[in-house]
Amino acid sequence: MKCKNCHREAQEDGYCNLHIRAFQNLEEKFKVWHKASGNTWIDYLEQIQKNSLTGEWAKEVAKYLIEEDQKCQVK
Amino acid sequence: MQKYTLIITEKPDAANRIATALDEKGKTQRCLSKGVPYFRAYRNGEIIVVPAIGHLYTITSKQKGKRNYPLFDYQWVPKYQAERGASRIRGWLKVITELANNAETFVDGCDFDVEGSIIGYNILKYACGEKQQLAKRMKYSTLTTEELQESYNKLLPKLDFALIEAGLTRHEVDWLYGINLSRALTQATKANSGQYSTLSTGRVQGPTLRFLEEREKEIQCFVPTPYWKITAKINISGTTVDVEYEKSLEIFAEATALRDACKTKEGTIETVAVSEFAQPPPVPFDLGSLQSEAYKIFRYTPMRTSAILQHLYLNALISYPRTSSQKLPPSIGYKAILKRLGKAPTYSKHTTELLAKPTLKPNEGKKQDPAHPAIYPTGNLPQKPLDTTEKNVFDLIVKRFFSVFAEPAIRQSINVTISLNGNTFSFSATRTLVKGWFRFYKPYVQVKDDSLPPLTEGQIVSVQRVTLKEHFTQPPSRYNPRSLLLKMEKEEIGTKSTRAAIIQTLQERKYLKGADNFTVSDLGFEVTEVLEKYCSIVVSPEMTRALEEKMEAIQQGKETKQNVLQNTAETLKIITAELKDKEAAIGVQLSRAVQKAHLDERKIGSCTNCQGGKLVILHSRKTGKRFVGCTNYFEGKCTTAYPLPQTGIVKPLSGACRACGSPIVAVYSRGRKPWRLCLNIKCQSKRRASA
Repeated sequence: MKCKNCHREAQEDGYCNLHIRAFQNLEEKFKVWHKASGNTWIDYLEQIQKNSLTGEWAKEVAKYLIEEDQKCQVK
Repeated sequence: MQKYTLIITEKPDAANRIATALDEKGKTQRCLSKGVPYFRAYRNGEIIVVPAIGHLYTITSKQKGKRNYPLFDYQWVPKYQAERGASRIRGWLKVITELANNAETFVDGCDFDVEGSIIGYNILKYACGEKQQLAKRMKYSTLTTEELQESYNKLLPKLDFALIEAGLTRHEVDWLYGINLSRALTQATKANSGQYSTLSTGRVQGPTLRFLEEREKEIQCFVPTPYWKITAKINISGTTVDVEYEKSLEIFAEATALRDACKTKEGTIETVAVSEFAQPPPVPFDLGSLQSEAYKIFRYTPMRTSAILQHLYLNALISYPRTSSQKLPPSIGYKAILKRLGKAPTYSKHTTELLAKPTLKPNEGKKQDPAHPAIYPTGNLPQKPLDTTEKNVFDLIVKRFFSVFAEPAIRQSINVTISLNGNTFSFSATRTLVKGWFRFYKPYVQVKDDSLPPLTEGQIVSVQRVTLKEHFTQPPSRYNPRSLLLKMEKEEIGTKSTRAAIIQTLQERKYLKGADNFTVSDLGFEVTEVLEKYCSIVVSPEMTRALEEKMEAIQQGKETKQNVLQNTAETLKIITAELKDKEAAIGVQLSRAVQKAHLDERKIGSCTNCQGGKLVILHSRKTGKRFVGCTNYFEGKCTTAYPLPQTGIVKPLSGACRACGSPIVAVYSRGRKPWRLCLNIKCQSKRRASA
């Protein structure tokens, strides 16, 4: 199975061993963002995607998660 | 024919200097045999000084033509037998052998370090007919006449065989790791893609790439978190000062509430703490710290600095640069060096001041090197004008040399706390009271001096503005040539002479991108991942550190070369068996990254005529000629194509043509300055040029 974000083999939660670290970071840092500003998950992901300090892999995962959320809403 | 003393040196410049220094009249006769220069001098008999051109011997496999692995049979051979483009070494060795035939005494005059000792040893052993046991050794740290004469008068009775044994072991172990692992990676890729592409790794390359890869992962996965800072602009007796709330705040609501609570027109200075501290002079330069400083000040890469240092050393302007010492022993003659440097008008003021001191005592660092002192100027001034880069580095070394003898600088730090409605804000300032060594190290020391009005505790100050600002946590910074060099040094990876070259190899192999801030390429990631998965020992700094300890033990006679090589072979047998077993999987993983690296190299930019197409350098199947085409051509969507010059190297440039907006490339042709070319043949700029 391929990673949700790249051509590499998926290891855990559908991510390769590079993107899984970015995903875990996103999950962990959401707690800080939520406590700081009360952001929702999607608000948080959108802000993270725009932030120039965010790593490229973290941005890719955030983009994927936003798109997945939009697909769910359409359904 | 009269017998003579044959001195072997590492480089032609060093040979010339040694011959001139040793000749009784200070004149040397330059001879040329089959294009190889050597020098004749007279000093209690005839002396011939013949140079090498670095290493003339290298290690190669005993099996010729085969590219299989594992490989454990090797031999030292003349370089021309193992490397392409080294054919002139054949003639060079022939001349050395001819000169050795009539020599009576042999002296190794190569640089006094591991590499120099190996160069001399191999020449004496292989080209001079096993004369290594009879040869004497010159030991010097500068190429000045006085030191060379002293060194020749007090020749060491024999070569340092323990040092040579350790050096040969290092070369052989590195060769075994390098050849076996690099072949495993290269062959796995070739078996999968059918294309040959050189992939390399080794005992030092592996762990270095691992540091970079770990940092890159941290940066790419980084998620910033917000925090807030409250600052205020305060007016103290007409001077505006920025003050900051004592801590940063992690919750926005709390931060805004606090900002509102701080809004007041007046504040009170609560405490004014003044302290003085001495800033000691810097320590003398060792190679690593000099490379690091040259990068910080001039942005010269460690490799470039090494080349500049070598040139300055061969011109007898500085001492031997490949040293890890931060010590300057009195035997180098501080006063004599300062007096000679003082002849230059730019340095005379500083030297006069230093020479007036009752005693000269350098502020030395902790690092030691048994072979050489720290890097210092010899006192000689350039006879010929130096180029800008050499001038800069020479000046840096001279000024550092002055500074280490100077007095400490005395600085004052002032920490002030101010209360705004009971909330504590603070600011600090520093200023220089006594300049001390700062004056000697100008312009390479940059110190911020703040000016403040008089401050007293209880003083009322007016508040101009209170601001709340959002900040984000920062990702770790990327390694640059300087920080990577420091990291390698800290982790004891590689040697002072090889670190800069390792960084360059990683760039040449396309494992790294960028010249200043290194980014690990996809290929770099894949290579590290393969190594970590199948032979993690190769990328661990512990392994290479343990080997360094063994080298040290060989030098002290506590370990043998044979033991170390046997252990290496046993470790490599296990690793290569695993790599061979997983060759197919490794091939798949690496091939994709290799192809991407090749494509990136050929990529010019985005196509201006279609959506999503990329312009790449292609070769026509019919004519073999190169041109730029769009990747969408293969899907029948775009026919954009541009002609390219058929000779020289073409490299994409960022940005677009100012006249027409088309992509631009740089063309590098032999014997010509690099030139910029707009790909559009109808570009107006070309019409103007041809008109």
